Amino acid sequence: MANKSGSIYGLTILSPVKDDPHAEISPSLAVRMYLQTLPVDGRGPFGRVSSTHMARLVVLDDVVYFGMPSCEEHLKSKYLIFESNFDGELEPYLKQLAAEASDEVHNIWQHCIGYPGVQNVDAFIAYMKRCQVETTFYFADVNNKTVQQTLQALQTQSAVASFIEKNQGKPSEELQPAFIEFMSRLNKAPRPKPGSTKGKELTDELL
Amino acid sequence: MSNIHGKAYAMNTVSPMKPWKTYILRLFFFIWRHYKPLGDGLVQLSFIHFARWVIVPRCAFPRLSEQQPKDDLQYDYLFFFSNFNGTWNQYIDAFSAVLFFGLNNIWRWSEKFPGSVPVTPFKSFIVRGQVETDYYYTAYPHATTNDVKAAHRVQAALGDFARQMEGMPPAKFADAYLQFLVKVQGDLGETGEAPVGT
Repeated sequence: MANKSGSIYGLTILSPVKDDPHAEISPSLAVRMYLQTLPVDGRGPFGRVSSTHMARLVVLDDVVYFGMPSCEEHLKSKYLIFESNFDGELEPYLKQLAAEASDEVHNIWQHCIGYPGVQNVDAFIAYMKRCQVETTFYFADVNNKTVQQTLQALQTQSAVASFIEKNQGKPSEELQPAFIEFMSRLNKAPRPKPGSTKGKELTDELL
Repeated sequence: MSNIHGKAYAMNTVSPMKPWKTYILRLFFFIWRHYKPLGDGLVQLSFIHFARWVIVPRCAFPRLSEQQPKDDLQYDYLFFFSNFNGTWNQYIDAFSAVLFFGLNNIWRWSEKFPGSVPVTPFKSFIVRGQVETDYYYTAYPHATTNDVKAAHRVQAALGDFARQMEGMPPAKFADAYLQFLVKVQGDLGETGEAPVGT
């Protein structure tokens, strides 16, 4: 299936946006304005849906005309594009999205045609599936690691670099206990949070 | 504009294709999926976290109610979404230099595609078809693709070393530690804020 690469799922959704010529702010602009207010770090909706590696939302106003001799044509609706790269399967992911980010999901998709709300999770999943388009070709450079495994590996990488730097030149009688202590601290360290911009600072605090 | 978050750039492009040509492109992607050496070009670039091409046929734009006006399109549309590291110019330059064969075979079916070499008209084509991102999230904003791959290698090497050193006398530990350092030394680059690009 082209939507998957290894254990990573590539979701592409096109949700038609409502058209209301009498609205003071058009629905497509309202979506854009709301998206500008959302945090992009772990406090945002996808930070809570922790299986998300990367995701984006794009309002597509129209298709693009490249000039003669091609024909000029236009969409009759605007579309909200939701592109996500996550661990696992589609339905559990959409369930988690509806449960963990219900306010944001509602505030975004309420401007879209046919959106049933998130209270009825089955209806929400059915709606998202109706808007899904099949990915034709999908590439994931690292396609066998979860978000949590990657965050943990990045934490380990930073911690190992710090350990090596701090213990240069020590005799093996001191080095071995220091390494055992290091491994113990690393194993007990709190798991890194998705979307966090704290990297080395967090490792330095731990070690 | 939210195309950039940390070290990742979100690119979206859309281009029209005559419907009969999309069958050829689908065949090309089918071959690409099953004939690995063609896909290895993307791995070689090593600065793309995730990328996808999506063909949306002219009659397949979702229509969810009778009140929604029915689109009447002559073209199918090719969408391209990429999550890469570095600047837009670096990305297109590298794409054009390394993957010109694959790129030409993907976009030659789109209207007015000038070819990926020379790069100037190719960049104009991409600019024309690019759509700005309104919201962009990444779970590891300070890490590039190379950082992620290096971190997984360090994690695996540390796990092996930790298992190997259990009950080891200090004299042997020093040698094993040195071997561990040699193994991971190329993978200990620091993650953090991205340099400001253009």
